[in-house]
Amino acid sequence: MEPLSEHQVIANLRQQEDASDRYYAAWWLGKMRSQHPDAVPLLLGTLSVLSEDPVNDEDRGVALNAIRALGLLLNPAANDPLIQLLSSTDYTVREEAARSLGAMQTKEALPQMCHLLRSGPAASGGEQVGSSTLNEPCEALLEALGNIGVSSPDVLNVITPFTNHPRPLVRAAACRALLQLMKEQRWAVELEKLLQHPEPLVRRGVLLDLGATGWTAALPAIESASVEASLKLVALRGLAEQSDDTKVLDAMDRLL
Amino acid sequence: MSASALQKAILALDRATTTSELVEATQTICGLKDLEAAPTLIKVLGFNNPAVGAVATQGLIALGRDVVPILVVNLDVGNYGARAWVVRAIATLRDPRGLDLLEHALNADIAPSVRRSATRGLAEMELEGSNVSKDFSRCCEALFKAAADDEWIVRYAAAFGLEQRFGHNSTNTGLKTQAIAHLEELSSNSEAVKVVKQRAKLALQRLQAG
Repeated sequence: MEPLSEHQVIANLRQQEDASDRYYAAWWLGKMRSQHPDAVPLLLGTLSVLSEDPVNDEDRGVALNAIRALGLLLNPAANDPLIQLLSSTDYTVREEAARSLGAMQTKEALPQMCHLLRSGPAASGGEQVGSSTLNEPCEALLEALGNIGVSSPDVLNVITPFTNHPRPLVRAAACRALLQLMKEQRWAVELEKLLQHPEPLVRRGVLLDLGATGWTAALPAIESASVEASLKLVALRGLAEQSDDTKVLDAMDRLL
Repeated sequence: MSASALQKAILALDRATTTSELVEATQTICGLKDLEAAPTLIKVLGFNNPAVGAVATQGLIALGRDVVPILVVNLDVGNYGARAWVVRAIATLRDPRGLDLLEHALNADIAPSVRRSATRGLAEMELEGSNVSKDFSRCCEALFKAAADDEWIVRYAAAFGLEQRFGHNSTNTGLKTQAIAHLEELSSNSEAVKVVKQRAKLALQRLQAG
């Protein structure tokens, strides 16, 4: 099969007949970091269906891909529409919007993100009735607060209680954000402790959290973690790209 | 003596059911340091159990280069997990008899981690014998190819590999010119991933200083 051209992908997203073509097109534009002038307007156009009730499943899938793509394209025109989606009744929509706004470092999203987390680990971070899903997408929101990078007292006060959340990955997300915002060793120590967790899935998540912080002092902990080399390399990429220290690159060389 | 110890150990492996039993039985087999255990260890690589696979791979590597021809012959090409471990073992042993296998893995394997290991192997393989210059060219061509891979970690490994290949042995000036051109490409803005650029720049600095 011929690879699709950008022109074709734009046309596929514009048409309304074939939902799977639209779904793939929305993903492709983000993956390829498309700079086509129609890309962002078309992606934003897919979001309007999310306010319908009920939402068509296929349209929702396209919209979710569009939210992720917008987080990769980093175009400020997406700020307001994504902030509005933080108020969606759909948990996954709020989660993906938070991730994209975090990637875009959209400061204007801070009040709404803090609002969603303010009721703390017991309420925002409590489980939904009859489900293992939390009431709010806490991990995504905490990570976004760290990525946006504003260390105001309000933001720090909202994040800190989540360092005692019962779920290790939520605790890790809170520690990661606090390490990014406060640059204090104690949060790295907490993450390094979580890196010893008996559950491989937790160790993997924590490893990526440490990498995302760019905290170079975590290098030995990442190197010696009980996690596969492929993931250590991803974590070390996070450190390397935020530092000029060639010893991170040397560590990556050893893991190849 | 050692044959019966091996048979006992293989029996224990056959009876093992949990991961910890499998790990223990595999460790026992590795501890025998017996080349005849290699086919059994290679079979273990196909169990699709990362903990056991890691132990068996270390055991195979500990058997030294004599294990390379056995690895090449016994490789279960249909088993992705086993293939990944074998490529890693051969890359670590740096034996030129693994050249075909690594070249093929880099060209054809769909898993980025396998192509990454293969690239590292092609960078560090210790070439010897009458084919040195031909094998050197093959390794270089493969690394040039890795430098254009879709996955950032394979391009990263290529930057590392080109530095290794030309750091001390730079008799072939034509290939070295090409290597520098590939590194310059990887360190330019046409490379989207920052850490790949960083690694390529470091390689260029070291090659130009040396």
